[in-house]
Amino acid sequence: METFSLLLQGFEVALQPINLFWALVGSVLGTAIGILPGIGPALTIALLLPVTISVAPTSAFIMFAGVLYGAMYGGSTTSILINTPGEAGSMMTALEGNKMARAGRGASALATAAIGSFVAGTIATLALTFAAPAIAEIAFYFRPADYFALTVLAFTSMAVVMGASRVRGFISLFLGLALGLIGIDQMTGQARLTFGVPGLFDGMELAVVLVSLFAVGEILYVASRYRKNSSEIIPIRGQIWMSREDWKRSWKPWLRGASLGFPIGALPGGGSEIPTMLSYTLERKLTKHPEEFGKGAIEGVAGPEAANNAAAAGILIPLLTLGLPTSATAAVLLAAFQNYGLQPGPFLFSSNPQLVWGLIASLYVGNAMLLVLNLPLVGIWVRLLSIPAPQLYGGILVFATIGIWGVANSLVDVIAMVIIGVAGYVMRVYDFPIAPVLIGLILGPMAEQQLRTALAAGQGNPIMLVSTPLSVIFLAIAALFLLAPLLLRRLRANA
Amino acid sequence: MPSNWPQSDTAGGGAAAPRPWWLGGLVIALGCVCLYGAFSLPQAARYAGVGPGLFVTLVGSGLVLLGLLLLMQIAHGEKFVPQDTEDASGSDKADMTAFLTALAAAIVPVLTIEALGVPFTAMLSFTLVARAFGSRKTVIDVITGAILGSLAWLLFTQLGLQIGSFLPLAGI
Repeated sequence: METFSLLLQGFEVALQPINLFWALVGSVLGTAIGILPGIGPALTIALLLPVTISVAPTSAFIMFAGVLYGAMYGGSTTSILINTPGEAGSMMTALEGNKMARAGRGASALATAAIGSFVAGTIATLALTFAAPAIAEIAFYFRPADYFALTVLAFTSMAVVMGASRVRGFISLFLGLALGLIGIDQMTGQARLTFGVPGLFDGMELAVVLVSLFAVGEILYVASRYRKNSSEIIPIRGQIWMSREDWKRSWKPWLRGASLGFPIGALPGGGSEIPTMLSYTLERKLTKHPEEFGKGAIEGVAGPEAANNAAAAGILIPLLTLGLPTSATAAVLLAAFQNYGLQPGPFLFSSNPQLVWGLIASLYVGNAMLLVLNLPLVGIWVRLLSIPAPQLYGGILVFATIGIWGVANSLVDVIAMVIIGVAGYVMRVYDFPIAPVLIGLILGPMAEQQLRTALAAGQGNPIMLVSTPLSVIFLAIAALFLLAPLLLRRLRANA
Repeated sequence: MPSNWPQSDTAGGGAAAPRPWWLGGLVIALGCVCLYGAFSLPQAARYAGVGPGLFVTLVGSGLVLLGLLLLMQIAHGEKFVPQDTEDASGSDKADMTAFLTALAAAIVPVLTIEALGVPFTAMLSFTLVARAFGSRKTVIDVITGAILGSLAWLLFTQLGLQIGSFLPLAGI
């Protein structure tokens, strides 16, 4: 019952005109960047971080949540109408959705994607509403050793799951950890890895690293291998949105997608790729029309789209309750919290209920807003695709540079932009995952602090790190993540 | 940055160079930089048993170890497949002229942003990126870049962000 009254108070915050305005700004921006190539939700939020100077925290997070959800809606539009999934989570949608559009059923595909996203987003937000306070309660009992073990688990799962190779995943992670060490040590005040450069004393800002990797790295990479997208936008004028049959075939996949997406999205390393793929496979198995799969089956759009949106809500669970980011977007949201001097985690629910519940309530509002923005206005959105690539990427670099220069007006940051941008290029050429760098950068200092606090409590005895049942469980799961692929390979070889 | 990398990239013809030894070497070198930095830091503090240097040593050692593992993988013929993105195909041959033009666009701010300000820098960077992506309407790009840079400068300044004056050299 308490949750209900807190949620109602959250709605009071979210429905204030100023917050509705920011939710609208976020949803519009999110949809736009979901449609445009070369720019995703993490980069957009990183570029918007400067507004945290002049906007109240609740309004800023309401806007960021709109960007996060909006990008999912926008991504599905391009997948269906021009077969270019903007992000990993929309890949499955493109598979069936584009075929539907080619067969003259584009409007149905767009509708099932948008309504499915709305349904799944709402279910996932409901789950978040009830699960988050419960998990935050448990997190109150976490000791430093538990937190350290949890970050180790996050690191391991992230490095193993993301990307093609574990070694490259771990290299990305350790590069992030190394970047996170630069600057003044919080506990002793000593400068580390600054090599006498005063501009490095404050450390590397996440925004600088993120923008360099995602914007500059991407621009260098795409410029070197640019392929003009010749796909035509498939028109949908005059088609009906959803027939009775479409509704009948969509509602179950929506629910199944939501129940897959939310829990997997909440896990470290879960992301949106795995649940959308699982949902697609599941729908393919359960369908009464197996012959349509691969030729434009509506279930293949409904399920993965629902899973995609539910996963986006899932990442908010570990972020809000434990302060643990599980994706690049979550990492930049954590940086935004830190900009305001706030630390997400169990205490945020008691110290800042207005912000947390306002944010959760705004997810419901944002979802409804996005449904209205996306379906009837889809024709306007696809016009964004007529911005020519040379000017689009030019604009992205301009905003990236301003974003980095605005952090501290530091030339060191601008030089870092070039070096890290080239690193981002090399990482794309040699297929290193990028998100672990950001997770290492933002979670590394946290892991170190918890490690040192845990060890200090036991006068430096490392046994302290496995002194609680939770820490043992977390470390055991981390070890499992690391060893499971090896064991599986061994088993397969023996079989 | 090792001098051979762009060549090896191009020589690979789309797929990355078959044996990029330098990549493992670079990771090891970065690990050594961390270890060198850790060398001057106390590893242990009296009250905690852990000093500010320990984590740096751990991360440095980790990078060295991972670099060695990567070298071993490279020796065993590990494949590196360039990533596919929305506007780029990993299997396409790299166009180094376009890459270097885009890189120049990223380097421009280092040289100009302090003295010439955001709008001017934006104009140059915008034009260079547009050129890297095949635009040959340079005059229009210069004008678009200048307008975009000025508008962005105005917007961010209004938002309270400190991004310097309009044209610092001229005192505007």
